[in-house]
Amino acid sequence: MNGSVVRLEGVTKRFSGHTAVDELSLDVPKGGIFGLLGPNGAGKSTTIRMIMNIITPDEGRISVLGKESASRDLSYRIGFLPEERGLYKKMKVVDQLTFLGETKGIGRAVARKKAVQWLERLGLSDWTLKKVEDLSKGMQQKVQFIGALLHDPELLILDEPFSGLDPVNSQVMKDVVVEEARRGRTVLFSTHIMEQAERMCDRLVIIALGRIVVEGALADVKREFGGRHVALTFTRNADRAARVLADRSLIEKVDDYGASAEVTLAPSGDADRLLRALIQEDVGLSRFEVVEASLQSIFIAKVGADAATAPAKEVVHA
Amino acid sequence: MRKVWAIIRREFVERVRTKAFILGTLLFPLFMGAMFILPGYLMSRSLGLKTIALVDATTSGLGKQVADALQAARIGKGEKARPRYDVIRVAAVGRADAVRDSLVPMTGLSRKQAGGFDGILVISDSTVPSGKAAYYGANVASFDDMQEMAGTIRPLVIARRLQSMGVDPAEVMKSVQGIDLVATKVADGKLTGESGAATFILAYAMGFMLYFSLLLFGTQVMNSIVEEKNNRIVEVLASSLTPFQMMLGKVTGVGLVALFQIGIWGGVATYLSTHQDKILAAFGVAAGAGGRMAFALPSMKPDLLIVFLVFFALGFLLFAAAYAAVGAMVNTTQEAGQAQMPVMMFVLMGFFSVFALVRDPNGTAAHVLTYVPLLTPFVVPMRYSISPLPLSELLLSVGVTVLGLVVVVWVAARIYRVGILSYGKKATLRDMLRWIRTA
Repeated sequence: MNGSVVRLEGVTKRFSGHTAVDELSLDVPKGGIFGLLGPNGAGKSTTIRMIMNIITPDEGRISVLGKESASRDLSYRIGFLPEERGLYKKMKVVDQLTFLGETKGIGRAVARKKAVQWLERLGLSDWTLKKVEDLSKGMQQKVQFIGALLHDPELLILDEPFSGLDPVNSQVMKDVVVEEARRGRTVLFSTHIMEQAERMCDRLVIIALGRIVVEGALADVKREFGGRHVALTFTRNADRAARVLADRSLIEKVDDYGASAEVTLAPSGDADRLLRALIQEDVGLSRFEVVEASLQSIFIAKVGADAATAPAKEVVHA
Repeated sequence: MRKVWAIIRREFVERVRTKAFILGTLLFPLFMGAMFILPGYLMSRSLGLKTIALVDATTSGLGKQVADALQAARIGKGEKARPRYDVIRVAAVGRADAVRDSLVPMTGLSRKQAGGFDGILVISDSTVPSGKAAYYGANVASFDDMQEMAGTIRPLVIARRLQSMGVDPAEVMKSVQGIDLVATKVADGKLTGESGAATFILAYAMGFMLYFSLLLFGTQVMNSIVEEKNNRIVEVLASSLTPFQMMLGKVTGVGLVALFQIGIWGGVATYLSTHQDKILAAFGVAAGAGGRMAFALPSMKPDLLIVFLVFFALGFLLFAAAYAAVGAMVNTTQEAGQAQMPVMMFVLMGFFSVFALVRDPNGTAAHVLTYVPLLTPFVVPMRYSISPLPLSELLLSVGVTVLGLVVVVWVAARIYRVGILSYGKKATLRDMLRWIRTA
């Protein structure tokens, strides 16, 4: 349990004949932002629900904050934003937040004070005494987000926190999440929107059909996928350039467009060697770019085929 | 525990704040008050002095007698008594119909029209043999008014008949005097001074209160769980509370609302019954006028109150837990309506067993039902109110009920635990058994 805030070992969950999560193991280290990525139906929400002890896994072990299957007793240390947003529609915003704080185990007065502070911070002060049902959907989502943070938890678990938010509100919430992480909090969040993950995550796993497809620190993942592509443009000696590119120990694949080319490096080659060789041949390089693959492209490359066959929506639990 | 307390407070505060609660709490006493004051009020209005034209077609002097008797009739008793009728006798031997017809246009608007009448009473010689007299009035729908008038005339006609048979009417009246059985309850070998009627009212009232609370608040528990499922708030709650805590908080919170509301109603009822004369007077109703309606709340002795509260609490928790399980099983309030039938049946059985057993509260059936967990909350307070149970029986019954409560709550909590997080598909009986086994 050393250092890992959330740890899953061989966790499996089946729902009436279909396996939602399949022997999933992962480690969320303390601090930073951990992304749980995957297409719809990959098992993200099921995994999060199991971490939150809302449902129990069929197999495997889960430990949260160093303790096994007791996340409920630790609820004052964990903030949770479920995928399915839910608030009491008839309650006043501030009462609602106070109540949520209380269910996490903090005192009433403290909860109320914090609720007011947070509402102010997220620009909802005018709505403090309004009923939840009078708020727009985006505002309700912000209120629920506050509900997850109110008790200042050291672990934040957010299931699709940005879905349905406009860019401005998305930004506001992203800033809060990043700041929490900077304060040493651990954030675990799921999303199927890769751009967000790319901008925020320190570490990530991509799961599809309940299994891990990619995992690691964002930089490593990108390097692994993106460092192998180089885009070139040269202005002279195209024949000499072609000779360099024909070296199979250096280059695996070439998309040749005459004066430019996109190449995939061979496992034994690297970008430095290629650059040196090209300079030696005096090809008049006007562009030499190691293309960093976007998370989006990695995601599509890795789970594209699987995602197409995944069930359209996450299956209800029986 | 603090978390459960938060749930209890939320349930209580949010429920008490709703318009439905406030309206219900206020309207019911208003309704009670209206029930209490209105009949007396209306009656004293309708009991205002009535001007009657008596068309006297008798040759025997019966008409005169009737006129005198009506003139002597009084509303109320003692000093406040005032005349009931103002009678104008019109002699009309042999031309009763013609006189009646001439009076009809002046009938019905007496209060606004000088010389008018409220009604026309026609008495003829045939009244004695046929036992029929005719009354024509603007308002002939009041059964009580008609009875009152007939009652004034009846003895005079009977006396005539008896006289014609050569019997002394006074002797006959004396001989047909009825008897009243004055029932007084004996408890613990002592006279209680409590009438039989009051005892029965109390027995019913307690059963009704539980029945009513379960119908009203049990379904509230159920529907609010369906609602929480639908708006997915359960996920947030389930991440910080155990399903059992959630259920406990909800059932207790709603139970307190029920007690609060019933307490208010009970307080108002007690106030009305102890201050009824003053209240009636404030509405200008003579105390005697409402006499028939006057109701006395049966007094509840402390031991009965304790028995009632214990069984009320047990019964409420037991059935509310069952309703909670039903709520967790379904996805919409429509489905809930169907799924609650089994629970409902037990509530009804309990309620009707009060009616059935009140006739024989110490019979075999009553004894047996004292130990049937789902029915005890209805049966035991009823039995206790009529004749206190021995302490041993009482404790055994409480024990059985608590055991039943534990079982029901255990099963309900398991259904609840799985049910609250299952959306979409309706649970079958087999699913339910599986939930209970595996949860």
